[in-house]
Amino acid sequence: MEKVGITTTIPAEIIYAAGMVPVDLNNIFITSENPQGMVEEAEIAGYPRNICAWIKGLYTTVIRSDDINTLVAVTQGDCSNTHALMETLELSGVRVIPFAYPYDRDHDLLKLQMEKLMEAFGVTWQQVKREKERLDQVRQKVWKMDELTWKGNRITGWDNHLYQVSCSDFNGDPEVFAQEMDNFLNGLEKKPALNTGLRLGYIGVPPIVDDMYDYLEERGARVVYNETQRQFTMPFNNEDIVEQYRLYSYPYGIFYRLQDVKEQIKLRQLDGIIHYAQSFCYRQIEDMIVRQKLDVPVLTLEGDKPNKLDARTRMRLDSFVEMLR
Amino acid sequence: MYAGIDLGSRNVKVALMKDNGKFNLHKYDTVSFYRQYGRMEEGQLVVDLAGAGLADMKLQNIVSTGYGRQTINLKGTKNIPEIKAHVTGAVHLAGIKDFTLLDLGGQDSKVAKVVNGRMHDFETNDRCAASTGRYLENMAAVLDIDMKELSRYHEHPVDLTSTCAIFGETELIGKVVEGHPVSELAAGVNYTIFKRIKPMLLKLKSPKLVFTGGVARNAALKKIVEQEISVEVIVPDNPQYAGAIGCAVTALENDII
Repeated sequence: MEKVGITTTIPAEIIYAAGMVPVDLNNIFITSENPQGMVEEAEIAGYPRNICAWIKGLYTTVIRSDDINTLVAVTQGDCSNTHALMETLELSGVRVIPFAYPYDRDHDLLKLQMEKLMEAFGVTWQQVKREKERLDQVRQKVWKMDELTWKGNRITGWDNHLYQVSCSDFNGDPEVFAQEMDNFLNGLEKKPALNTGLRLGYIGVPPIVDDMYDYLEERGARVVYNETQRQFTMPFNNEDIVEQYRLYSYPYGIFYRLQDVKEQIKLRQLDGIIHYAQSFCYRQIEDMIVRQKLDVPVLTLEGDKPNKLDARTRMRLDSFVEMLR
Repeated sequence: MYAGIDLGSRNVKVALMKDNGKFNLHKYDTVSFYRQYGRMEEGQLVVDLAGAGLADMKLQNIVSTGYGRQTINLKGTKNIPEIKAHVTGAVHLAGIKDFTLLDLGGQDSKVAKVVNGRMHDFETNDRCAASTGRYLENMAAVLDIDMKELSRYHEHPVDLTSTCAIFGETELIGKVVEGHPVSELAAGVNYTIFKRIKPMLLKLKSPKLVFTGGVARNAALKKIVEQEISVEVIVPDNPQYAGAIGCAVTALENDII
């Protein structure tokens, strides 16, 4: 089946309805053998050093791949660097289809964007709705996993992150992914109980490092809420697919996002929030608003290079955990 | 006797707390310290305690912290987070419980709000060393003066706009060429540090500010902070040992518990 690259979560139903496979480039980049090497490769090609590492990783992922010739790029609601990413990839002969989430969450504009995407892939509403039913069955399992994360004490922050973040493309095979989710949930009772006293929330884009969750758990603090990753699972149980992507908070303004964050802080009884922002990202500015609007302690983390926490960030995590205790 | 070790980026500081509560303080160059007294064992740093002046020390009476803590675990000792060590040390040294801590070290700047002896909130510098001791050392070298001389000046500062410690040197050389006297150039350098830490200080402001770390010996910077944000600035004796002293105090407290 033909692969279609995506720069972040888009209505995956449309790609699956076309009999194609969405591939979240972020996941390919960050799970590759040497993500930092991919960042450097983009820099050699001419990407500036003071630009987000994700964008550079995405660029190299597509350039290196021999089977991703079409890309759906989110031009509004994610990152304006994506515009230049699209253009540099277009220069290399990749077919780029733009998709824009309307800033004000306007229903009609969003519907129009989805229809344009459907037109590009030659699919109908009926086909798309059928795919939504298929994907919702998988999503329900992931919702269950997320619920067990904060209600129980056997699911690590990393597992919660990984299964949810995978819902942007369902790893290219929803049924296989669902099976993996089932196996994980069935084996849960045998997993050791995690004795972590502090309950943390993680908000912002998924981390570019892979050792943060373990590092926190070793220090007695567990992430029981991953904001954006959870949003990727469309946890709304809404039958209307346009409404589903309107409720999806990540691509819209910070105030709308924070409504969701506040609800979850209360529901999951969080002791503190880690706000992660990528170096050079406009979301670093929004940290001002996050700090003002949330009434639990907030640690702002800045991540630049993949793949491990640096000494300074570890020092800051230590101090934050110590402070909450 | 209890010992606190602060594995800093420029110096390793050791505070030995005697039974009468007084301290013996020692300082080593970080790189020489690791070379002379350290060796790695199973990924952890083992220090030759006798060589480092800690011959009769029981390991459980040693607490360590510092930048090295992240990359190097001092084997057998208890490690505590750096900001906690500095807060504990500052509470002990200043003898007050409500204040804003400003700690400027070799590569780090930290600001913490302390309420009733406990850390309430903290901020650290972003990914840049332009507000730290290393920056001052570089700039003093450009001006061909020592750190003591640099710390004398705070009046009529030249305006240095560069946000980067390295490009700052080029800018400073430009000001030298323009013919500004050393006093104004040095004041400009000191002001640059203040400008970098100002947002953190304002965010976590209290009526009293305890200033620690090696940079606290810069009297000009103390004056600038006092003047610019109208707070009482307290620089305790031996401000660069606050982290090590905080560790020794923690070792004592742990032993009592």
